[in-house]
Amino acid sequence: MAFKNIICPVCGASCDDIQVELRGSKIVTKNACKMGNAKFWEIFSPHRIREPLLKESGSFCTALWDEAVDRAAMILVKAKRPLIFMGSETSCEAMQVGLHLAEFLGAIADSNSTVCHGPTAMGIQEAGRVGATAGQSKSRSDLVVYWGSNPLESMPRHMSRYGVYPRGYWTRRGRFDRTVITVDPRKSITARNSDLHIQLKPNTDYELLSALLTLLHGKKPHPSVEKVTGVSISEMEEMLERMLGCNFGAIYVGLGIASSFGKHRNAEAALNLVKELNNHTKFVIGALRGHCNVAGFNQIASYLYGYPFGLDFARGYPRYNPGEYTAVDVLREQDVDAALIVSADLVSHFPAACARYLAELPVACIDIAPCPTTMISQVVLPGVIDAMECDGTFYRLDDVPVYFQPFTGSPFSFTDSNEDTMKQIFQKVKEMKR
Amino acid sequence: MEAMLNLFVSTRGSGKMMKEFLLNTGSTIEEGRLAKGGSKLTEDYTQECAVCEMNPGDFQDLGSPQKVKITSRDGRYSVAAYAHPEESIQSGQVFMPRAIWSNVVVDPETFSTGSPLYKGSPVQIEPTKEDVLSAEELVLKLYVRS
Ligand code: SF4
Repeated sequence: MAFKNIICPVCGASCDDIQVELRGSKIVTKNACKMGNAKFWEIFSPHRIREPLLKESGSFCTALWDEAVDRAAMILVKAKRPLIFMGSETSCEAMQVGLHLAEFLGAIADSNSTVCHGPTAMGIQEAGRVGATAGQSKSRSDLVVYWGSNPLESMPRHMSRYGVYPRGYWTRRGRFDRTVITVDPRKSITARNSDLHIQLKPNTDYELLSALLTLLHGKKPHPSVEKVTGVSISEMEEMLERMLGCNFGAIYVGLGIASSFGKHRNAEAALNLVKELNNHTKFVIGALRGHCNVAGFNQIASYLYGYPFGLDFARGYPRYNPGEYTAVDVLREQDVDAALIVSADLVSHFPAACARYLAELPVACIDIAPCPTTMISQVVLPGVIDAMECDGTFYRLDDVPVYFQPFTGSPFSFTDSNEDTMKQIFQKVKEMKR
Repeated sequence: MEAMLNLFVSTRGSGKMMKEFLLNTGSTIEEGRLAKGGSKLTEDYTQECAVCEMNPGDFQDLGSPQKVKITSRDGRYSVAAYAHPEESIQSGQVFMPRAIWSNVVVDPETFSTGSPLYKGSPVQIEPTKEDVLSAEELVLKLYVRS
């Protein structure tokens, strides 16, 4: 059986042109990148988690589904301040159930979007954003800036589908009609494929952005900026000249902005630079979101509860204070006493102080393959792969919702999707609380 | 912050060299392929991700070690990784693929944003003879208390 226009559930590009052929228990894909391919093969992989697991005296044994759901619900009900963590490789529909569950329990709800572009979202709250859809940028942009991002390794098809190589209405010669600038402390593969590489020192994005703004205002930045950033003022002038000379510029910020020192202030400075560039030419800015549906959590949480991430429902209503109610902080400060983790590997991707505390807590998780987080969990529920085995919605990197349909069904009789699993846990929690 | 980030070199009683670097973590396509393919507990993943890339000059200064021990700024956590010289990296900086090894030493401070310093965390690095652990061994050694 062959299927066309399948959506890839791996990174924020949400490529919608994947072709899939199922041959017995083999799968052949076309158009997907290495990362995407690897995930499609997970459907039949031998290491797939296919049965619920419960930890007894330190080791896992298989369990009945109802028993495992009961145990997961019990972990949440017994906790005073649980953390509900919704990973990004699942649908908005599952995230919605997670948020409602957090509200019901008075829990903390957070997601990968916090450790990904949380600071960028905070920057947007400060400065606003001039944005565009990926399609607009594809058709119009003749200058692309990858700032603190390395799409060839984090979103492998971004350059070929949206950013640099595709031929758009006003960019008919594709790459030949575009200038590519990369700002990165490392000479990454993306930097090597760019027309201009600005090799700044780590943790100096804010200073470089401020210097560019100063130049844009027609003034010379203080010479000390060269020593601080490692970038000469003449390089900055060259960069700005190219930016001002384009018809439509697009900046894609990566974790180089959001994860380094300066955080949301870096993002705010970049957003302000783009606003001011619009006095001269058309410029837009967007986050290069490395994980599939990280944008989704921001959208769903914002429209349901008014805040994009790190929500605390302890008082019965949502509160938002990044650094206090966000997952890394509540784990580092040992401020939660249980966790439900959906499609995310916090033990691998959070700093040691957080992972270590998490390993002490009662944890239930939903996942498709063994990983450090399943290792420390007491309950492991098999995950269903969104966009392959069930339908739902993702938000793409440019905040455009994409509805996906599966090409096969859930391999399990006990659940249709992660949304279904979350609903079953929620139902059990309600029964136990009654 | 500026003062804290200055590069320094010190020698310990053992005569071993220890240097401070800024750690940059990020995606590599192979890390992505293995992680998305559910292979985080495999040897391939360890070989791809338990790696510390550094400028060839810094690598030589450290004595061209096969393995290095990377220690977090507060000295609480450390991890062994394979050292690789890499021209694309400037002196005073190191790069590690984003994975459990690098995150052991990432600074958990979020500066009131919820996001730790995945890029630009100060770390100390010295040559080591310690074994490079698999993800599974690392979890058992560092995180799971018996
Ligand atoms: S670029 Fe991203 S969405 Fe597209 S195929 Fe690769 S992993 Fe999937």
